Amino acid sequence: MTGSLSDTLLATMEQRRGAIAPWLGELQGQAQELFRREGLPSRRIEAWRYSDLARALREDRVADATPVSAPELPGAALAAFVNGALDDKASSYGKVGAVNLRTALGEKNSPLASIIGKVYPQAGHPIVNLNTALLEEGLALRVPAGKKLDLPLHLRFLWTGAASDGRHLRLLIELEEGAEATIYETHDGAPSFATIVTEFSLAKGSRLTHIRQESLAAGARQAAVTLGEIAEQATYHAFYFTQGAHFARHEALIKLAGEGAHAELDGATMVADSRHADNTTVMEHAAPNATSNQVFRAVLAGSARGVYQGCVKVAQAAQKTDARQLSRALLLSHKAEIVTKPELEIFADDVKCSHGATAGELDANALFFLRARGIPEAQARALLIEAFFGEALDKIDNEVLRESVSLSVHNWLSTHAGEASHVE
Amino acid sequence: MLEIKDLHVNVFGKEILKGLNLKVPPGEVHAIMGPNGAGKSTTSYTLAGRAGYEVTKGEIDFFGEDVTGLAPEERAARGIFLAFQYPLEIPGVSTMNFLKTAMNSQAKIRGEKELNAAEFLRAVRAAAKELNISEDMLKRPLNVGFSGGEKKRNETLQMALLKPKLAILDEMDSGLDIDALKLVAEGVNKLRSPDRSFLVITHYQRLLDYIVPDVIHILAGGKIVMSGDKSLAVQLEQNGYDAVIAKAA
Repeated sequence: MTGSLSDTLLATMEQRRGAIAPWLGELQGQAQELFRREGLPSRRIEAWRYSDLARALREDRVADATPVSAPELPGAALAAFVNGALDDKASSYGKVGAVNLRTALGEKNSPLASIIGKVYPQAGHPIVNLNTALLEEGLALRVPAGKKLDLPLHLRFLWTGAASDGRHLRLLIELEEGAEATIYETHDGAPSFATIVTEFSLAKGSRLTHIRQESLAAGARQAAVTLGEIAEQATYHAFYFTQGAHFARHEALIKLAGEGAHAELDGATMVADSRHADNTTVMEHAAPNATSNQVFRAVLAGSARGVYQGCVKVAQAAQKTDARQLSRALLLSHKAEIVTKPELEIFADDVKCSHGATAGELDANALFFLRARGIPEAQARALLIEAFFGEALDKIDNEVLRESVSLSVHNWLSTHAGEASHVE
Repeated sequence: MLEIKDLHVNVFGKEILKGLNLKVPPGEVHAIMGPNGAGKSTTSYTLAGRAGYEVTKGEIDFFGEDVTGLAPEERAARGIFLAFQYPLEIPGVSTMNFLKTAMNSQAKIRGEKELNAAEFLRAVRAAAKELNISEDMLKRPLNVGFSGGEKKRNETLQMALLKPKLAILDEMDSGLDIDALKLVAEGVNKLRSPDRSFLVITHYQRLLDYIVPDVIHILAGGKIVMSGDKSLAVQLEQNGYDAVIAKAA
């Protein structure tokens, strides 16, 4: 246990229990007990071996300049979280039918109350527990059967410094049969410690597009968990962009619960300096004929560290599973590091599962070819790195969102593409 | 225009070029022929400025300026163009985007105005038509899935658009059948002009039937051992490198 910090968190949990909704007190109490026993995750736990949260929270943080908020997207419904508080005046999330979590959870029999704490087996997950016990704010979206939301829902998280010592937010998303929605998250600034847990449930034939654009400042410490269940013929398409931070981890724990369910995960990690970015996924195939495809790409400069842990579980009943995962890393510096850990647990016998990992430098031949045509080195490097992410970006259907993510890629490259610790 | 003086080049610490001398006046086509290991590829990479090709002695004068210390992109902007033996496939970068970036980068280095979108499109379409390159090829990622002939035609297209003063053709005939070779040579011949010189690097005489040189040089052991007109190629074809080089020595 991390002594004083854990004590402070426990005291806060005591105050928060039942605050958001009295009936939730019991669940929060259980979570608090678990936290009291287990504490903050550290390298002693295998799943946290490469991302030691307890240690990161003890370390000093670098001071960051005032963050720039992500712009309001034209034609999106906005949920503006400032220092973890939902700013209703600045928001327009009502346009897509989203509601404040407090309202959504008001009564134990409210429709969305049935989801919280229920999506995917999450008992014992240290971040989910901590988040549940400290829960104070969030948003809920329920899309009725057959409805296709025209507007994306933009969840804008901005941490502005002094007041941002940490918040614990929960998002609940439920898509009924055949419904469609697009969630776009932006993360800016430097929370001293924030957790964000998203639970989504996709009913038969529904489709959720989930784009996370994490542009946190260098001093930020954030642990996010996305928990999802996908019913038959439903699709989850995710694009996770991160620039890392002092500590930035996103876990996607996904269960393909119905026949023919599909999950498509693209990761784009761009880290420099001494930043840390962790993408951890657990893809559980619980039903037959489900498919999952994960490609996590990372570009690492400076002495940055990237982590990709990808676990695929195939239950005995999940025959004809097709599960693929791939980790590809480009190292721009000899001090940068990528940790890739694939895990397969397969109990069915008629399945296709593949995993692969590559790590290397930019192709020296390609670089020379571009330069020999007159393209300066930094620009040639940027061109090759943009191409590396191009395939994943092309899969984002919404043009405004694709442009927005491309801009983040581009901005990162304009600062870091020229960085190389050695000459060919 | 191009004058190489006593050029010595090390690759991975081993001396490959050992005192190369060569003069190419404007508008002329010179061929460098030589056996395997003579230093042909080293010559082309060194001229283009590839890292790892270390000039230990000598000069490469291009219009009176020694370019040995210049980066590849700076040499390109001054008008040196290397057509690659094996053009690179670059997934994720469309041919169009690549051409535009290259043309504008060179213009920028030279302090010239960059082309706007309409001017660029017009230039590309005209050049592509001349070389039988389809719109579809231009939209595809650079050289990905192109046949050997298509790749070489794409190189010729780049040459046509970048308008170099010196084009180095490194084993242009590698991987081409005779029909593809004719097509590529035809494209190159269209680009011949009084203010553009060519350095054609090849192992075989075959290419020189289609791109006819003014002067042929024989490279062996890291230096030019013999120069002559195009009849030299025929001698090589009949007697082989060993005999011709032995006679020269």
